[in-house]
Amino acid sequence: MADKSLNEPAETKPRHEVPARGSLDKFNLGLRLMAGAFILFMLVSLFYLYVAVGNSWSLVANALFDSRILGALWISVSSAFIVGALAIAVAIPTSYILTYNEFRGKQLLETLLIEFPQTFPPATVGLVYLLMLGPSSPINIAYTYPAVIIAKLYVSAPFALSFILRRFREIHKSGLDVIAESLGGETQQILLWVLLPLSSIDILGGFSLTWARAMGEVAATLIFAGAISWKTEIFPAVVYLTAQSAPEVALAASLIAAMLSIVALMFFKWVAGRRR
Amino acid sequence: MSELRVENLSKSYGKTKALDNVSLTVNPSEFLVVMGPSGCGKTTLLLTILGVLRADEGHVYIDGGDIDNLRISKRNLGYAPQDFGLFPHLTTYDNVAFGLRAKRFGQSEIGSRVKAKLSLVGLEGLEQRKPDELSGGQKQRVALARALAIDPCLLLLDEPLSNVDEATKADVKANLKETNRRTGVTTICVMHDPEDALELGDRIAVMHAGQIIQCATPKDFLENPSGEIVKQLLHHLLRGS
Repeated sequence: MADKSLNEPAETKPRHEVPARGSLDKFNLGLRLMAGAFILFMLVSLFYLYVAVGNSWSLVANALFDSRILGALWISVSSAFIVGALAIAVAIPTSYILTYNEFRGKQLLETLLIEFPQTFPPATVGLVYLLMLGPSSPINIAYTYPAVIIAKLYVSAPFALSFILRRFREIHKSGLDVIAESLGGETQQILLWVLLPLSSIDILGGFSLTWARAMGEVAATLIFAGAISWKTEIFPAVVYLTAQSAPEVALAASLIAAMLSIVALMFFKWVAGRRR
Repeated sequence: MSELRVENLSKSYGKTKALDNVSLTVNPSEFLVVMGPSGCGKTTLLLTILGVLRADEGHVYIDGGDIDNLRISKRNLGYAPQDFGLFPHLTTYDNVAFGLRAKRFGQSEIGSRVKAKLSLVGLEGLEQRKPDELSGGQKQRVALARALAIDPCLLLLDEPLSNVDEATKADVKANLKETNRRTGVTTICVMHDPEDALELGDRIAVMHAGQIIQCATPKDFLENPSGEIVKQLLHHLLRGS
């Protein structure tokens, strides 16, 4: 039953190239100006940080050997990784349930899980946890490493959830899950063989943003977990607490944190690019 | 080689009746084409048999057994959608092996079955290609081989010709007919083009507004078209050919 068409290669699609729309008509110029202003606004603070350090690079080098800063580095980075991993672990089943189940109040639940935590002031989050799981409650985990994780998880996990949920819904819409089911696939196979492999880039994207948000989170962590060196003190807390008394330490810590985040985020993007 | 019986099936979306008391029997090994314009209810009928949609009323029987409450995964139906629905991250081999792995067949059994189905549809040598390296006609064949690999009771095809180019259409039609003849799998194929339907179907069920208005062999259909709507479809066909 073989026929000629089978020996022909599939059509090779032309690569997507950036369309040649670089000509400077007035509207294009306007777009460039607005984009330029925004890019400048976003980059100026990082540039200023670099300038402010000025000739004090030895201070940055010294900071790398400072026990307090090293402790903050360890707590920040390790907790952000744990929060990223935990967020993915809970976002996958939650996305599955929200994709495949219809129930009353689903819209409200989604809002409370994804958008609301972004608007809820992190300081309030810290306060709620301090009252709920602090010295006055039967379970007291305030000012511990788990408190750092919990405070950061609430603030950061919505990023992972929104990425994975959106992708699961796209796959569901494409009907690939129904095909898998018609072939005898049960929940486990549909999740492990279809949904997760097709969502790998989104899972990585969700992890990356969750990690980034967890790195930057300070208020909730500071209130619920405090700032105990090598235990709960995170990078932004060092900056916040030393900004007045020792601004050069704050500056050095900020620069190290910024460099670290840029390297990590570029690495995540590189991994995602390789998977594409 | 199973028999499908659909009894008094009804399904509404709000006030629109997508299926209106549809009854139909498809004989073992038969190739039945369900034909009609878009919105006539033919895809709803297919998806209700598949189990994606639940009928408001009526029943679906395979070999006399009621499958209404069976989950999709337990119905053992081969299904190839309009866009072929190939898993984009899997090779041809892994696409065809998907159902066999889900049903926990052994590696050697999977290997021989995949090989047999790929040879049935004439796709040997393309095992390691991903879907984006295949042409429309090749994708259609992978979808067919994958649906057949699980030895389904029924084969459900949704517009198998709509995503293949004109040049490959004749090949795909010949392949579908030949596959049905060689495997003997009872096939229900949804189509909108009367010409294709007459060419492929052992019998053709014409649907309009959620009802089957005539179900007959191509010969009967041409000689004794019943009612204005069928005649209109036929007229359109004659004019088109």
